Amino acid sequence: MKNKGAWSRILGAVAGSLAFIATAGAAETVLLNVSYDPTRELYADYNQVFSSYWKKKTGQDVTIRQSHGGSGKQARTVIDGLQADVVTLALAFDIDALVKQGKLLPANWQARLPNNSSPYTSTIVFLVRKGNPKKIKDWGDLARPGVAVITPNPKTSGGARWNHMAAWAWALKQPNATEQTAEAYLAKVYANVPVLDTGARGSLTTFAQRGIGDVFVSWENEAHLATKELGEGKFDIVYPSLSILAEPPVAVVDRITLRHKTTDLARAYLEYLYSPEAQEIIAKHYYRPRNEAVLKKHASLFPDVKMVTIADFGGWDKVQTKHFNDGGLFDRIYAKK
Amino acid sequence: MLKHTKLRAAVFAALALPLAAQAQNVTVDELLKRLEAQEQKIQALEQKLEAKEDATASAPGAAPTAEEQQQQILVLERKIEIQEEAAAAAKEATPVVSAGPKGFSLKSADGKNQLRLRGTMHLDGRYLPDDDHGVIDTFQATRVRPTIEGTFAGIYDFKFMPDFGQGRTVIQDAYVTARFNPAGQLTLGKFKAPVGLERLQSANDMKWVQRGYPTSLAPNRDIGVQLGGDLGGGRFSYQAAFLNGSNDGSSSETFADTDINDDKEYALRLFAHPFAESDSFAIRGLGIGIAGTYTDQVGNLTQPLLPSFRSPGQATFFRYRAFGTTAGTIADGERTRIAPQLYYYVGSFGLIGEYTEVSQDVSRVVTAGNRTGSVDSDAWQLAASYFLTGEEAAFRGFQPKSRFAPSEGTWGAFEVVARVQSLSVGDEAFAGGADSFADPLASARQADSWGIGFNWYLNENVKWLLDYEHTSFDGGAADGDRPDEDAYQLRLALGF
Repeated sequence: MKNKGAWSRILGAVAGSLAFIATAGAAETVLLNVSYDPTRELYADYNQVFSSYWKKKTGQDVTIRQSHGGSGKQARTVIDGLQADVVTLALAFDIDALVKQGKLLPANWQARLPNNSSPYTSTIVFLVRKGNPKKIKDWGDLARPGVAVITPNPKTSGGARWNHMAAWAWALKQPNATEQTAEAYLAKVYANVPVLDTGARGSLTTFAQRGIGDVFVSWENEAHLATKELGEGKFDIVYPSLSILAEPPVAVVDRITLRHKTTDLARAYLEYLYSPEAQEIIAKHYYRPRNEAVLKKHASLFPDVKMVTIADFGGWDKVQTKHFNDGGLFDRIYAKK
Repeated sequence: MLKHTKLRAAVFAALALPLAAQAQNVTVDELLKRLEAQEQKIQALEQKLEAKEDATASAPGAAPTAEEQQQQILVLERKIEIQEEAAAAAKEATPVVSAGPKGFSLKSADGKNQLRLRGTMHLDGRYLPDDDHGVIDTFQATRVRPTIEGTFAGIYDFKFMPDFGQGRTVIQDAYVTARFNPAGQLTLGKFKAPVGLERLQSANDMKWVQRGYPTSLAPNRDIGVQLGGDLGGGRFSYQAAFLNGSNDGSSSETFADTDINDDKEYALRLFAHPFAESDSFAIRGLGIGIAGTYTDQVGNLTQPLLPSFRSPGQATFFRYRAFGTTAGTIADGERTRIAPQLYYYVGSFGLIGEYTEVSQDVSRVVTAGNRTGSVDSDAWQLAASYFLTGEEAAFRGFQPKSRFAPSEGTWGAFEVVARVQSLSVGDEAFAGGADSFADPLASARQADSWGIGFNWYLNENVKWLLDYEHTSFDGGAADGDRPDEDAYQLRLALGF
């Protein structure tokens, strides 16, 4: 009995110690949002608003950290161990990789939030030098000799994959088009690419700050950012005749939030993206809000564009295999460059 | 643009004559249609011309324009910039391999995962001029300890340290520490019990060939769990441990690293550097603390759970009676230790002082039945050190001002050490005549020692230690006191 008493005391002491450690460790609640390249400014703003909202709602202080890079690269980093509580990436395929390769969240993650877990959309446009000296009006112009095209590497950048698929969609809609003619067209476009950055932000630097190229194939929001903040009056935005509906998705990384005990916080963080306040911030940063009222309010920023969706090509799994996996279409045409 | 203007003028001139001639025979609509047709022709011609210009400009062999040359330079610069960024990113992701005085390590780029290879080797020589103590003058490899340490996930430290010294194979350390935060670190495994100050000092930092008497009363390595940490930015530290329980001066390998009873030992140590942030250089290096243990354990004939004590020359001067026989003394009840301790370092001077007291309940089956009692033992030491070559003294670690390199005229670091120490066993151990717990004719009641030594640090990793220590005893011989002991000891120590 004496021993049992001693063990009880010890177990109590250990439990108390662990509770102390847990309490000491919980003094600061930290959430890590691993995102893609162009969302830096969006989430910097949103995090402040959400932190205030969360403090008001729960009384809890929360620090939200951001990590940005090419979407594919970011997904790889999370699979390799970066402790992301939430991911807000450029395309669903990259979050699917966390499911398949990392088993970090359930396969139905896209059904857990409205709009396939995409609280905002965007599309692909052209950013050209002021006055559009090369008269770049549509996708066909990117294949013209003498036109230097800036786009990131689709192996590492989600945005680049959207660019690639938008161009592919346009090529397939041309008279008498076949996949062979579309591939030949893309080969000409990539032949015009002097520099392949790893992410959209790097490509923006190449185009806007280093002065390279005639056209930057860009996220719509990134193009607006360039015209407003990197040199007002230096660039024009050109909407092509056809583009693609980009739906950047968001997800809670369950296995990590369970470990961090941040599941509720992470879920709330993503759900709040759909609130009118957050949708306003989204519009302010030139992402197309899902909220109809907010979208209508900012309609002048977002011209109507005829768009295809990735579903038109069979979804990201199929697209990835065909276009971007090793030995895929991109490798074939870029190797010829 | 000039070409286009000329082209337009020529076309309009060509149109003007027939238009004028036919002006009276055609309607305005027809004229507008003709104009529109001509405009379209002009636009087509312009486009052809632009395409031709572009093709000419990009044709192989065509001399690039100044603008194109500038673009080419910008592209090259940007490619270099991207390569540099990629190289920097790759560097951030590349594991770091390092080799140096502190051993060899392999570290992940983020520093959260590490593997370190370290080691300790102590090669000793012992000489006692007087042969009365039953100690053989000998050379021996006292410690041969290759050590593997590491960290996983930035939180979980581990250490594995076998010891092949003295012809045996022992696992000295095998533990994992979870560093949740500085104030809460949980250790599980076999590690040094948090009691003796000198015991907690790494073997690589030992300034004497033999540790002092207080260490003989403190537990060595034990198996269990420990919660510890630093508070107040490191000014205060604590360790609270729950252990199998270990004899004075012994490790759990005494019991083949398995416990022989269900009763465990509690250990607690508190230590402070109260003036660590003081502006006064003179008091900044003071550390003071207290440690204690408590257990209630009963030994048996093969494992009586009682210690024996050795002199600096490694002569056993005290042991309980009849170890391992039916008439032997065994631990039987509570054992408490208390160990106030301090160190003080200022400049080249260092001082360690500690006192350890043990109260041990014992019993022995004698003719009259089971005889019980409580034996109090205590020990203290004051050990001072001083670097003659000006190095800074510290409890852990050492940085020489020069390394042994005769060709460069440098000789390493020299240190002198001196200490006084004493260990005494309570009278209760010797009372009772033939029924006593310890034989007063074979075990001394007290040992008092003083010693001096000279240490030569060839570099951070290799040093020579030469000690002389004199010991006098109270009791322990049939004719009174054990003879005094003079012990000369030499060590070549390698540590990294």
